[in-house]
Amino acid sequence: MLTPEQMSKVLIAGPKDMMSPVIAELHRQRLFHVEDFVENDQEEYAGYRIGTPLEGAGETSREILRLRSVTGAFSLRPDDLDPKARVRKSQLMMQIEQELPGIEDEVEALLSRRMALENHVKEIEQKIEALTPFSEMRTDLSLLHGYRTLTVFAGYIGKKIDLGVPSEEYYSESKKGNFLVAVVPVECRQDVERKLLDAQFQPVPVPDEPGPAKERISVYTVQLEADRKDLEEISTQIDALKSRHSEFLVACDELLSIEAEKAEVPLRFATTDHAFIAEGWVPTDVLDSLIEGVTRVTGGRAYVTSLPTEPGKDIAPMEYHNVSFAKPSQFLIDVYSRPKYNELDPTLIVSIVFPIFFGLILGDVGYGLMLLAMSLGLRKIIKGEEGRMLLDVLRNASISSIIFGFLYSEFLGFPIPGLPPLLPSRHLNIGGGEGGHGPAVPELMIMTVWIGVLYITVGRILGIINHARQDHGSHRTKAILANLGWIMVMWGILIMIWSYFSMPLMLDLTQAEPVVAGVSLPTIIGAVLLVLGIIFIARDSALEMVELPTILSHVLSFARIVGVGLSSVAIAMVVNFIAIGLIIEPQLEHFTIIGIVAIIVGVFVFLLGHLFNAILGLLGGGLQSLRLNYVEFFTKFYKGGGKKYNPFGMKRRFTED
Amino acid sequence: MVGEELVGLTPEMIEASQAGMKAMAAAIAVGSTGIATGLAEMTIGSAAVGATAENKDVFGLVLLLTVIPETIVIFGLVVALLLLF
Repeated sequence: MLTPEQMSKVLIAGPKDMMSPVIAELHRQRLFHVEDFVENDQEEYAGYRIGTPLEGAGETSREILRLRSVTGAFSLRPDDLDPKARVRKSQLMMQIEQELPGIEDEVEALLSRRMALENHVKEIEQKIEALTPFSEMRTDLSLLHGYRTLTVFAGYIGKKIDLGVPSEEYYSESKKGNFLVAVVPVECRQDVERKLLDAQFQPVPVPDEPGPAKERISVYTVQLEADRKDLEEISTQIDALKSRHSEFLVACDELLSIEAEKAEVPLRFATTDHAFIAEGWVPTDVLDSLIEGVTRVTGGRAYVTSLPTEPGKDIAPMEYHNVSFAKPSQFLIDVYSRPKYNELDPTLIVSIVFPIFFGLILGDVGYGLMLLAMSLGLRKIIKGEEGRMLLDVLRNASISSIIFGFLYSEFLGFPIPGLPPLLPSRHLNIGGGEGGHGPAVPELMIMTVWIGVLYITVGRILGIINHARQDHGSHRTKAILANLGWIMVMWGILIMIWSYFSMPLMLDLTQAEPVVAGVSLPTIIGAVLLVLGIIFIARDSALEMVELPTILSHVLSFARIVGVGLSSVAIAMVVNFIAIGLIIEPQLEHFTIIGIVAIIVGVFVFLLGHLFNAILGLLGGGLQSLRLNYVEFFTKFYKGGGKKYNPFGMKRRFTED
Repeated sequence: MVGEELVGLTPEMIEASQAGMKAMAAAIAVGSTGIATGLAEMTIGSAAVGATAENKDVFGLVLLLTVIPETIVIFGLVVALLLLF
């Protein structure tokens, strides 16, 4: 709870011929977070060099490269597939040698044919485009070439002009422009060129084709269709290959990736000519099984021990250690930044508070059900681990939204009949028909201010714990007192406000008797807290005093829970009013054909409006509650920037040893 | 307002105009602070997107920076709600 998985620093040393079995065992266990060896002047590592890859690394990499070109052509991703049966390594190795080259050749042949066809299609399309201007001309195109005494002009022109020389002309008008083909004696060429230039003539090349253009176009169109058909056939062939081999290919990919990873890990070890040393981290509670495993596979010839850690020098990787309920929220923390190893992990708190904030903002049974259905439905489409976590967060949030919907008594903006709201009412008076009390805004605001004050206090207390754990010496005391100071200033201001103003849902200290100079005891207590707090803050860092107004702004920032929530309720009620009050209800008095159409339109408006508002609520509710955690809560204690625990090894999904 | 101008106004009319004024004030409070927040977030947001595109790790930090001006509109909202209710 609130602390990460305990890590131990481990050193593995052994003769070089034991490297391969040790690597295989480490990979199988998937526990050892390798700390990269860096060649430097460290005394204890004098004479050690970075290791070289195991035998066969290059070959495996080449094989992967070829395989990836195939899976790339298939746009095949392992995440899209659900593993069925696992394939044994020995069997798969054999298949890789026997079957894989065949498949690769087949796919490569198909791909190169596809590329050739695509190029051909492009070529033909260009030819057709060049022929199109001549399509209305019946002349054989070969007659427009190869004269010694004649010059041919072809192109678009603004308007028909008189060339003023003996000529044979073809002229047609169309939307694209007026097309002119003129054959003139070669000696008049310059003359004609000048005239055409004045008439904004845009020449087009005469295609080198036999026969009239129209005929040629139809010939090419037939070719084009044939090519397209071939392309389609190739696509279906590729699809067939994909569906036939996809499982085999992802298994190969997995196996080869594992082999490559194993072969390359010595690059992170320290080696001499005859020995190797690997340093890394292992969760403390599985340390024994790691030692036992490595000792077993090497017959005791490799030495494994846990090293003492030096605080400040050794930075342990961080792995979450949470109850299963809180696990999906790790995603939200990772988006911000992973906690450092010696820092409090706020996942559990966020996993509880985030859904509550979401529910407070989008407290509506109808929308909650819609989002719940969405989060369950999307599980079929979204397969990746992070996506699943996000969907779980959404599921928790929507359940909370349903619960708060009952507490607010709201269903798609309507009050739930027979259920008075337990929380301050958010029902607005939209449409003006109902009258009544309207939303209890002051109560809602005070409620959120309370939430803010308490949550920020929790944040500051966590800050105290963090500083107590991380800092040393006088800085530690100062930092702890500064965090305490922030709490004291906040509560001091609050107590002073209580002693002057009476507010709903808050303590009323206005009745307290004056003690000194007309000032009551609570005011004095508040003032003392305020001043002491400011002193504590200033002792740690005088610059921090600039931040004092953030006490007010951060607490009031929680008012967004009411603000965003009320706007969501308002949109829901407006949709109801437009769809039912304005469109449907007037038609129900006497039915007409137009009336029925209007009712259908009304239902459509109702559904669309609420769908829109649900999406808006998801964005608003989600982002605002996230922001309250990130900005108002985390800034009080959380820094992040931890190193992710990334154990050597790969999760096998399609293969087994 | 000078007394003479009130001649001919019934108390109901005065009340209604007061309510209208309140609504106007609330609208100005939310609207102007909204514009201010938008302007402030405009530059931060574009810089934040650029920074995230270069290095995904800074997302948490830049999200923080981007939403800092939102406090302005929240103050506007608080003032408006206090005016109206």
